[in-house]
Amino acid sequence: MIMDDLQKMRSPRTLEVWKLGTVNYLKSLKLEDKLVSDRKANRIPDTLLSLQHPPTYTLGKRRTDHNLLIPEAELKGLGAELHYTQRGGDITFHGPHHAILYPIISLRSIGIGARNYVETLERSMIEFASVYRVKARAGHKGETGVWVGDRKIGAIGVRISSGITSHGLAFNIDPDLKYFEHIVPCGIADKEVTSLRRETDTMLLHSEEMMMLCGRKILHSFWTTRRRSIKTNSPSGLTRFNPV
Amino acid sequence: MALRMWASSTANALKLSSSTSKSHLLPAFSISRCFSSVLEGLKYATSHEWVKHDGSVATIGITDHAQDHLGEVVFVELPEEKSSVSKEKNFGAVESVKATSEILSPISGEVIEVNTKLTDSPGLINSSPYEDGWMIKVKPSNPAELETLMGSKEYTKFCEEEDAAH
Repeated sequence: MIMDDLQKMRSPRTLEVWKLGTVNYLKSLKLEDKLVSDRKANRIPDTLLSLQHPPTYTLGKRRTDHNLLIPEAELKGLGAELHYTQRGGDITFHGPHHAILYPIISLRSIGIGARNYVETLERSMIEFASVYRVKARAGHKGETGVWVGDRKIGAIGVRISSGITSHGLAFNIDPDLKYFEHIVPCGIADKEVTSLRRETDTMLLHSEEMMMLCGRKILHSFWTTRRRSIKTNSPSGLTRFNPV
Repeated sequence: MALRMWASSTANALKLSSSTSKSHLLPAFSISRCFSSVLEGLKYATSHEWVKHDGSVATIGITDHAQDHLGEVVFVELPEEKSSVSKEKNFGAVESVKATSEILSPISGEVIEVNTKLTDSPGLINSSPYEDGWMIKVKPSNPAELETLMGSKEYTKFCEEEDAAH
């Protein structure tokens, strides 16, 4: 029995990474639902989606639309969509140059709960920021997310269904911060939103390369402590989910 | 690994259970390796919900182990009275640390009462997971399902094994 336990601890697990480019929000939700169901049935390994969205506002399960400061019709005029979701967290915005990572993983198979999972996502973003010499920190109680001083640089909103995660994190690389003026971001008033572009003098790479660097940093932070191997691919099966 | 096994057996040796309790008001409990409390007399699901079966009513909530792993609960979504719940199917959700987690029902039946205090005080799930933090009361439609659940000793061991395996 001891040897079995040792074997279990040593064997690496696979994390498959899907690089999706820009994906319409509803399409990514459909993809996530399918992958959660597949992961639950053990048809796929733990999977990480790396993508961006076109301008999109989203709300969480609590439907805190009082934090949307303009009518929905006006959002359309800005070229943005609005979606209600089942994830945790408040209202937020996603757009170009916003690194989005959606881990579809089985928390039960790695034996952690919501709190540890979210803390690991926060740590990963902090480590990524430090590559650019930006000193970020986890949020204080009730302010989950990643902050530089009092300015929010990374947001988290997760759904856990039968122990499988979906949704995930968004890190502000260089988004158009004006979109945030139309909401109370994450329901926290009087706090600014910032980006890596604003916080560092270090030259940023081209957007696509930044996305992958962010993704890789997060992967390494999260998974190497659990002896995982990482496979990166863009499976051909994705062609039926056409990006915008 | 050896250290972990030593720690586990030490925790087992230290496990407390109250037999002839001085105060009849204090429920019997045991401390697991993960230092969450487990109440005797309840039944437990592998998804960390508990059931208290009292005649024709079953009260359901989530365990101390579950609330500890969730973090501070800020929102609870519960079903309506008279709706039905099914074993191992989701009946509600809680939100903590920007994560919504589904809650699965350990048994099937009809919801006869819902803990409305959780709307204004979702933190009761953290502070009192086995008492004030109860979630729903159900009229079981298939009492035999209770036999498939774990007792307190089994659940304590289950938690220890789950935490030790990673």
